[in-house]
Amino acid sequence: MTVVIGFEGSANKIGIGIIRDGEVLSNPRRTYITPPGQGFMPSDTARHHRAVILTVLKEALEQAGLKPADVDCVAYTKGPGMGAPLVTVALVARTVAQLWGKPLLGVNHCIGHIEMGRLITKANNPTVLYVSGGNTQVIAYSERRYRIFGETIDIAVGNCLDRFARVIKISNDPSPGYNIEQMAKKGSQYMELPYTVKGMDVSFSGILSYIEEAANKMLSSGQCTAEDLCFSLQETVFAMLVEITERAMAHCGSQEVLIVGGVGCNVRLQEMMGVMCDERGAKLFATDERFCIDNGAMIAQAGWEMFRSGQVTELEDSWITQRYRTDEVEVTWRD
Amino acid sequence: MAASGAESRPVRGKTNPETGKLEFFLDVPFPTPQEAEVALRSLSPDREPRKGGISKQLTMSGSTLSVRWIADEARILRVSVNSFLDHLSLVVETMETFGPPVPQ
Repeated sequence: MTVVIGFEGSANKIGIGIIRDGEVLSNPRRTYITPPGQGFMPSDTARHHRAVILTVLKEALEQAGLKPADVDCVAYTKGPGMGAPLVTVALVARTVAQLWGKPLLGVNHCIGHIEMGRLITKANNPTVLYVSGGNTQVIAYSERRYRIFGETIDIAVGNCLDRFARVIKISNDPSPGYNIEQMAKKGSQYMELPYTVKGMDVSFSGILSYIEEAANKMLSSGQCTAEDLCFSLQETVFAMLVEITERAMAHCGSQEVLIVGGVGCNVRLQEMMGVMCDERGAKLFATDERFCIDNGAMIAQAGWEMFRSGQVTELEDSWITQRYRTDEVEVTWRD
Repeated sequence: MAASGAESRPVRGKTNPETGKLEFFLDVPFPTPQEAEVALRSLSPDREPRKGGISKQLTMSGSTLSVRWIADEARILRVSVNSFLDHLSLVVETMETFGPPVPQ
């Protein structure tokens, strides 16, 4: 049996999870929530993580019913993400790895999402749509790499949603995306927004600028409601994502789609992707907020695969990196 | 157990008259050389985020961790020292909660 503990803290969530051979033993998490209209800044987020990380670590061990001696490997997020929060989490991972005399393993955050999605859904070789506040990529596995078929050329889809939420002061609790999703259910009028697919890639910054400019005017003139805007924005950006995912499936001859990342728990996105999959006779796989949203277990799971295939990270090589592309990692654990 | 930044020995800072650069020294005593080494190895891997204008060197001698900064500007030095002290106190707190190191 191999037990891996995973530390994640690349954005505003801090999570520590423990995995034993595909079984999630514990996965506690805390979220740094900012007031409406405000985003999370790196230094404030790092301060939040520093304040709670040791409590979360104790919880992870207690809930799993394990002692440090039972752990075989300490995995942590090496990148991509915000520098200051990443360093905070890496410091604790390095320290406990040394205190407990365990090997350390730096994990690519995107790979963590993919491997957790594969574990939970049992999808074998899916085309992956990875959508979150920091990343938007369509990914397929080929010859030892998760290859990026399409991606955003500017901001992530989740960033577009989060920043729209700030413009019309939607609450960040539990997350701006969740609140937009609930409001969108009450929207009825579709307001036309720019639709920006460029080949295999997507762009969201123009849509955001447009809606930032127009939102308050349209709301104050009574042209539409905030709910209508939430609905229209979701329909537009999700349609773009479904389009590039479908094109990637056609390229690869793939009959499976896996949605991962924080935006992936949006049920409307899952519905729209489901319609496309039905039309193609393909199968859709998605997970709920426990595993879609950043968490420690996903780092533990990717770490488990890497560790079992013989990888470790020496302490001196354990620096964090804000930029770390999904296709930089050699996938040593798949055929 | 291990001393926090605030309890450490006097820090020393000055402007080097030959180079004109700011220099800052910090000594942090730990209970044992093993613990000083854990701190050194946890705090060393990440490079300064800024490309130029500052350098930071970590060394240990016995159970003391020593840090030496050389910087062009006080502002850059202050940011780096502050962030180091945040990191140091987190490492020390982790050692207090989950230490001492298991014998290898």
